Amino acid sequence: MASNIGIDRRDEDEVCPVCKSSRYLNPNMRFLINPECYHKMCESCVDRIFSSGPSSCPVAGCRKTLRKNRFRAQTFEDIGVEREVDIRRRVMHILNRREEEFDGKRAYDDFLEQREEIIANLVSRSDVAKTEAQLQKYATENMASIRTNQKIEEQEATSFHARISLEQEEARMRRQLAREELENERREMHAGREDFLSRLAAGTSSDAASIARESHKVQLRKSSARHSEQDRLRQKQAALRGSELKRGTNLSSVENAGPSDTGLIKGLRKIKTPEPEKPYDPFMGYLPEKRDYVTLQQSYPSQYLDRLRKSTQAAAGGFDLREYYSRTLMEAFAGLGCFVEEEIAERDANRSASAANEGAAMAAVDL
Amino acid sequence: MKFFIDDLPVLFPYPRIYPEQYAYMCDLKKTLDVGGHCVLEMPSGTGKTVSLLSLIVAYQQHYPEHRKLIYCSRTMSEIEKALAELKALMKHRATELGHEEEFRGLGLTSRKNLCLHPSVKREKSGTVVDARCRSLTAGFVKEKKERGEDVDLCVYHDNLDLLEPHNLVPPGVFTLDGILRYGEEHKQCPYFSVRRMMPYCNIIIYSYHYLLDPKIAERVSRELSKDCIVVFDEAHNIDNVCIESLSIDISEDVLRRATRGASNLERKIEDMKSTDAEKLQNEYSKLVEGLQQAEQAREEDQFISNPVLPDDLLKEAVPGNIRRAEHFISFLKRFIEYLKTRMKVTHTISETPPSFLTHLKDLTYIERKPLRFCAERLTSLVRTLELINIEDYQPLQEIATFATLVATYEKGFVLILEPFESEAATVPNPILHFTCLDAAIAIKPVFDRFSSVIITSGTLSPLEMYPKMLGFTAVMQESYSMTLARRSFLPMIVTRGSDQAQVSSSFGIRNDPGVVRNYGTLVTEFSRVTPDGVVVFFPSYLYMESIISMWQGMGILDQIWNYKLILVETPDAQESSLALETYRTACCNGRGAILFCVARGKVSEGIDFDHHYGRAVLCIGVPFQYTESRILKARLEFLRENYRIRENDFLSFDAMRHAAQCLGRVLRGKDDYGVMVLADRRFERKRPQLPKWINQAMLDSETNLSTDMAVSNAKNFLRTMAQPFKSKDQEGISTWSLADIERHEAKRKIEEDRMMRQEHTNGHKMDAVTSSAFEAVDDEYDDDIDQDMMMLDA
Repeated sequence: MASNIGIDRRDEDEVCPVCKSSRYLNPNMRFLINPECYHKMCESCVDRIFSSGPSSCPVAGCRKTLRKNRFRAQTFEDIGVEREVDIRRRVMHILNRREEEFDGKRAYDDFLEQREEIIANLVSRSDVAKTEAQLQKYATENMASIRTNQKIEEQEATSFHARISLEQEEARMRRQLAREELENERREMHAGREDFLSRLAAGTSSDAASIARESHKVQLRKSSARHSEQDRLRQKQAALRGSELKRGTNLSSVENAGPSDTGLIKGLRKIKTPEPEKPYDPFMGYLPEKRDYVTLQQSYPSQYLDRLRKSTQAAAGGFDLREYYSRTLMEAFAGLGCFVEEEIAERDANRSASAANEGAAMAAVDL
Repeated sequence: MKFFIDDLPVLFPYPRIYPEQYAYMCDLKKTLDVGGHCVLEMPSGTGKTVSLLSLIVAYQQHYPEHRKLIYCSRTMSEIEKALAELKALMKHRATELGHEEEFRGLGLTSRKNLCLHPSVKREKSGTVVDARCRSLTAGFVKEKKERGEDVDLCVYHDNLDLLEPHNLVPPGVFTLDGILRYGEEHKQCPYFSVRRMMPYCNIIIYSYHYLLDPKIAERVSRELSKDCIVVFDEAHNIDNVCIESLSIDISEDVLRRATRGASNLERKIEDMKSTDAEKLQNEYSKLVEGLQQAEQAREEDQFISNPVLPDDLLKEAVPGNIRRAEHFISFLKRFIEYLKTRMKVTHTISETPPSFLTHLKDLTYIERKPLRFCAERLTSLVRTLELINIEDYQPLQEIATFATLVATYEKGFVLILEPFESEAATVPNPILHFTCLDAAIAIKPVFDRFSSVIITSGTLSPLEMYPKMLGFTAVMQESYSMTLARRSFLPMIVTRGSDQAQVSSSFGIRNDPGVVRNYGTLVTEFSRVTPDGVVVFFPSYLYMESIISMWQGMGILDQIWNYKLILVETPDAQESSLALETYRTACCNGRGAILFCVARGKVSEGIDFDHHYGRAVLCIGVPFQYTESRILKARLEFLRENYRIRENDFLSFDAMRHAAQCLGRVLRGKDDYGVMVLADRRFERKRPQLPKWINQAMLDSETNLSTDMAVSNAKNFLRTMAQPFKSKDQEGISTWSLADIERHEAKRKIEEDRMMRQEHTNGHKMDAVTSSAFEAVDDEYDDDIDQDMMMLDA
């Protein structure tokens, strides 16, 4: 944005408080200030006093040590405001919480007021040490969130600038289009009139009226065609703009994360970290390995099975008895011939692993 | 005279009525029946106000809804005139009906015009009167008095509390003078009587601003019900009024005084902290709770009200960073300092509110939200501090208003910083213009709120421009012509001088000696042939000055002095009124005078030159606006992009409405007569943009004249007009008696019947024709529609 601040030409009798040279004698005089003490002096004084290294402020009563590189031109006329804005810049840099991060409007408003209070303290030099310490503490504790918020702000600024420049460009285009259109129209009208005249000159007197009517019609048709063309163009542009905007908003939505409550600021929204996504479950919560009634034991005593247990043939073929146990148990408890309601009631009544175990053992024996 | 429109009995206070008045009333009634907005153009000097009032009063009294009428006019004198008309009308109704109706009609104007307090009314500036009045009448002052403190109060205001609140003045119509007299007799404040009686009035007459300017409208017109009939009279400039009501100019002086105001406030806050800290704390806790809206009973003595339209108000609590009074002051100070730095720029800048806000935030960390609440917060602070000398805080209020507006509106506004007053100036005098570009923004609440809005004036052509610019749809658009028994005004377009060289005020040739001399001879000739007064309009003060000095060098003024006294309008109001007075005197005694004035000045807008005060009006050059102005350029661009009104169309529309306004000045009634001359080559092509009534009276042979032809035409015309003319000649043609109206009605009925029958037979015929022929007809018809649509497009 245009912000080149020119030299105020009206205060011609302005005098440098250090060397007492006035603007009247030296029209190119520039005044500089140092944010250490905000005493104003002219550029030549700064050169003269501070070129050979840091020195103390020449204003009587102020013994601050100043360095040349910190001198700068003053933005605001009022030194008090200048200083306040400097302080504000620093504080706002640290306390840069955003409205979305708070529980509600009220909490955010309280935060805003607290921030004002801190700035006011620093400006009026009351409780400086305590406030500074608070700030410092907050800054070290919340480094990450400060960073992210700064980033968001920057992003917002750049996207805003991009949008503005885009809009300006579009406006310029539209202006040019309108001008061209006007020009075209004029030219066409001119051409049409000439054409009409020449045809009138060539034709006979009898068909003059018809030629006139026709030429009028042609003109009208042309103008309406032009208008519809414009409409189409405009709609296209509007659609384009809409999509641009959407992209802009996408850009600005950035995830933010950070520690929740800090000592200084109250009412921050608790940040919930989203639970990690669970793996895909094809049985919708049913686990084939899970058994409600039994626990699979290493081996069950059975004469029938002893044979198999010893057979090398079966072992070599990869037959696993545990497979067999589990399948058999599954079949036994698959719910064939039993009533679920009763079962549930029963389960609720005496739900104990031992009972289940016994049952399992009995089943195995029965087999 | 009494007659019926449909079933509505209308009492008209004169024995005769003009045909156009009758047509106007008929259309007005139709609009009111249907509900909706309308645009009506009626020739000047044909009794627009009286026909409007008599119809609406009849409508109010006849139908049980008793819809209230809000009649808005432009100037004090017009308001006074309308009130006088209303009074006469009600008197006539009383004698006709034989009893007084229960009816109240009041007019409202500023405190300055209605004040009776012996010391306050002597103040010259309106804002000072407002401030002093407030300091004598505010609620907290009264509380102080009750607590036994020694404070001044206004006796006139206090007496109002002794009366019944709904019967402060007796029923009837009071003119502004009348209410002043009544107030003096009964020792009561006329201003507050009217303000408080507004809900009980049948007719309220006041200025546009009370309805359009959100700062005032919120306070004055809030309680008016939805079914009110709103009339904007003399509305040809209404778009500019709308725009002005939302625009603000800030100069360096304002900023300086605002800084002083802010420091004063700071001191006051310190004082209060040491004496009465509780009050500040109360305010603070209220703000924290967001209760201020409920509590803020928008009293009469409020300091400022919110400058934004009611729809755009934020219904939230004040943001935390301006809740405390001292934080708010530092906030204001920062904002003012920021504006000061902006003022130091030495080149012109034009930017949109969003870009202004971003820059503001970059530099001073002021965000948009607290800025929006600036006006509200300042009001609350001023109320808490119980400030008495409010006029000192006027600039601060302006800054707060600006802050609120700039933070509220993104579209349709532009900020323009002009560091120099003119191109040539070297001493900077920066002004920050915050300009509204869209007239529809300010007037939208009016259209939304009231069911019937009537926009009327003598010059509204082209009619379709107004609905387009103001963003509404009109159920009725009508322009009436003027019925005349004789040709009583002679409009002419002069395109060439006597030497056949074209005359024009276009920038390229306006200072050519040939053109200047031709204009000079035109003026000289007309001052020679015209009896009594001649009025000459120029496009701008600048051009007027240069051309007069050139005429002086050419000896043209000396020639004019042989026939007329020369008087000139200046930007200074008092000088101009003196010139006008002298002009009137000269017209009444002696050979008359010639008045040079400007087409956009005060004279062109509201001063009538009836009868011998104006027998000829010359419009030298097309009164275009100054097209290099940044504000105008921004507005043109806005109109093009949003309403598809082309730059040239708008400029020429604007020029022609002002030209028509100038021409309308000389003809103020049917027995009046006058010559109207448009002296510019470019007028010939702009003729269709003139109002219908002027355009109809202009013969084709008189649109391309040279000076000598125009002068001989005018001579002939004036000679004819000088013949005796009896009012009897007009009867039946340009004035109707009751019998004429009845005859007209009967004729219309017969005509309607005939049309109906014809349609009927046509329908039969249509059935009879073969299908192929039908198609052919259909095709033809389509083509016609096409053409019509194209015409609209073009």
